[in-house]
Amino acid sequence: MFKKLLSKPMRLPRLKPYVPAPEDPAIFWFNSERDDIIREVVRRLVERYDGDRTSLEYALNEVAFHETRRLESQRDEEAKQGLGYWRGLLRRIARMSDDAKRDALRGISQRMSRDIAGNFDPRVYQLATKVTPRLLTGVMSPSALPSAIAKIGAPAIDEMLRAEGEIDLLKRLEKIGTLVYVPTHSSNLDSMALGYSLMQNDLAPVVYGAGKNLFSNPIISFFMHNLGAYRVDRRVRARLYKQALKTYSCVMIERGYHSLFFPGGTRSRSGMLERKLKLGLAGTAVEAFSRNQVFGIDRPVWFVPTTINYGLVMEAETLIEDHLKLTGEGRYVIEDDEFSSVDRWVTFFRKLIGTQGACVIRYGRPVDPFGNPVDDEGRSVAPGGTVVDPGTYLYRHGEPVLDRRRDAAYTRELGETLLDSYERNTVLMTTQLVAHTLFRRLVRETPGIDLFGRLRFRGDIRVPREELLVDIGETRDRAAVLEKSGRVQLSRTVRGGTPEELLDRAIAVWDGYHTRCVARQVGSDIVAEDPTLLLYYQNRLVTYALDVASEPDMAAAKEISLLGVQL
Amino acid sequence: MSAPIGIVGAGTFGQALAVAVQRGGEPLLYSRSEREESYATTDATELARCELIFISVPSPHIPKVAQLLAPHLDGRHLLVHVSRGLIGDELQTVSRHLRANTPARRVGCLAGPLSAAALAGGVPGGGIVGTQFPEVADAVRAAIEGSNLRLYDSSDTVGVEVASAMVGLLAMQAGFCLERKIPPSAMAVMMDRGLAEAARVGTLLGGDPETFHGMAGSGDLFAALGGDERAEVRLGRALANNFDLTAAGKKAGAHIEGLTIARRVAAFAERRGFEAPIAAITAKALEGSMTIEEGLEHLMKR
Repeated sequence: MFKKLLSKPMRLPRLKPYVPAPEDPAIFWFNSERDDIIREVVRRLVERYDGDRTSLEYALNEVAFHETRRLESQRDEEAKQGLGYWRGLLRRIARMSDDAKRDALRGISQRMSRDIAGNFDPRVYQLATKVTPRLLTGVMSPSALPSAIAKIGAPAIDEMLRAEGEIDLLKRLEKIGTLVYVPTHSSNLDSMALGYSLMQNDLAPVVYGAGKNLFSNPIISFFMHNLGAYRVDRRVRARLYKQALKTYSCVMIERGYHSLFFPGGTRSRSGMLERKLKLGLAGTAVEAFSRNQVFGIDRPVWFVPTTINYGLVMEAETLIEDHLKLTGEGRYVIEDDEFSSVDRWVTFFRKLIGTQGACVIRYGRPVDPFGNPVDDEGRSVAPGGTVVDPGTYLYRHGEPVLDRRRDAAYTRELGETLLDSYERNTVLMTTQLVAHTLFRRLVRETPGIDLFGRLRFRGDIRVPREELLVDIGETRDRAAVLEKSGRVQLSRTVRGGTPEELLDRAIAVWDGYHTRCVARQVGSDIVAEDPTLLLYYQNRLVTYALDVASEPDMAAAKEISLLGVQL
Repeated sequence: MSAPIGIVGAGTFGQALAVAVQRGGEPLLYSRSEREESYATTDATELARCELIFISVPSPHIPKVAQLLAPHLDGRHLLVHVSRGLIGDELQTVSRHLRANTPARRVGCLAGPLSAAALAGGVPGGGIVGTQFPEVADAVRAAIEGSNLRLYDSSDTVGVEVASAMVGLLAMQAGFCLERKIPPSAMAVMMDRGLAEAARVGTLLGGDPETFHGMAGSGDLFAALGGDERAEVRLGRALANNFDLTAAGKKAGAHIEGLTIARRVAAFAERRGFEAPIAAITAKALEGSMTIEEGLEHLMKR
């Protein structure tokens, strides 16, 4: 009963409607545009199959087939209600007239679009801006509550989360164009951390597609529902549903709603930086820009490559385990991880309270849909320094035209630009650097053994603390050189801490959150207790392994750098 | 009136392109020195009027050309190069270089068994356009395709470019083998392994191995073996007749990309830890530390 209540969107009663002010971002008008947006999505979906009877029939068959299969295995309330319809449709399709097929398509598109479309309540947004930080601080660390309230404006959560990068530029750009944030993805907390960071820095809120499974936590569900998140049900496999999602996203960006996608598609299982992107949704932003241009609306779209960097990742254990599964493919949707467990949440936040910069969000330089970075006035700057009009990339025979295949090619190339930006904007965290140094030691001491063999060395590798400190110091110094050349970023602690501080902080952060001990000090030695978690944290440095290693570690570094290619 | 078709570089191939374009449109041939054709220019700013621009200069000149063109280009322009080369020690493809150094994004390359004679319309022939952008292939077809010229396309730009460069290297060896009357079976082994090696290089650079068995790889190689007497084959023949490198290069005429590419591919393979024996022995033979016969023997014994 309680569960069922939660699956329904919770809304605030409509007593006193909020009247958006002219300077409010587009999202504040969302509710008045919602029906219109859904209508437009449905219109485009139906139009897609106009005059093409074969593909219309195919689309209906496909959606009915996949939905029947999904609901048959689901056996819940939704299945009870929906199964009959889909089975019936499956039986009838062959006999249906063209008009009936189109009606069925319209009906299905309508239901899908309504299910997807989000809600935005400015009152909830204001509540969130004012109250959540203190509330969250209170929930996570009750003892800190009175002092947090006393310390006006600096609740503990603000210290945990640090933002850096192009924030001032984003503030200017969000007023003249549509921003599409495309961050790296390592935890389910990412969307909330980013949403909160935007709030913290007075940047406009974004809409984004949240997996339906995220809505199962009542508190999160309440905020998600009322802060513009739209729902993505990953269990629905039908092509029509994917088209509906993409169309929805495209229409939203066309209308100037700042958006958020994770181009990695799913959380990084290995802990490595994304190497391949799923660009379906990013493609909708390119399409939105083209459509606007072709119809004479000159509103720029900018992608904001962003890295979200954690010293401690809530779901680390589940993620790396999934990554290392030898049999079969990893799971695309993990529903039973640390994120869904309340006590993990409490432990996680308790652990991090008071840890300054436990999560660093770095906003990279925005780029136009064709990979050109923008200057401080929002003009696209092409290689060689010439300012170009991004609209020209859509020209053929002297005028802007729509072309899906062209946009797909632009999107693929944009992916390369994003990957490059991620690498340069990654902020190396203390735990990652320490894990890398220790893991490299483990590799060095176990020559000729493959990765899986090495992961069995639990607690077998001991390094004298003093030696490890020297390693950490050298590795950091080399990383600092990389940072100078703009190839990576370092967190404040990594940049300024002594090797002792780095090592002790890493061990302290791991200790007490992860169910397994990652590394600990025994006598004057540091023991690598859990190579698997070390692997997870060190994986962030795989791309830089050769650059941060000194000569005796070079062979080990080479092996580590190959991890990115092998797995 | 539609926009003129730009051609940068007035070598044999550039001139042939201009002739091909003239059949159905208006060429604009850019070169550094004055030429007598009515459509020739020495003013790079004029190229801004074009939508499609062919770049027909040897790969070592590409960086300079990119610098020259960049200020006059924007998102409208489609760039298609015909260089059979790769740039620098990291073997950057020409299209990647153009993309990274000019405002143009819609780039591609024209490759395969395409000869200047086929372009100029005398003899039947064909080629392939490698590009991610369908409109680039369409534009190239509209500009030069004729009743005697058939053009295919591939979205694997990198594969087409690497294949084209590596076939240049193999064509040089083919010239050598033909001149020295190396038995056909041995030559076939070398060509086949050479293509496999090319595919390995291509895959590492992000191409698709399939491409090497298509028009840009084996298709192009067939033409070289079939006796198209391209510059690379002539170079191989000259080397077989014991001309030294400079003299052989002069005898072959055009700039030969294969001269430095063997060394760079061999070094690249070594750094990345994969085998490229054919590039390696060719490099050694060209720098004189091994005769080609020794190289062949070495290959056969492997």
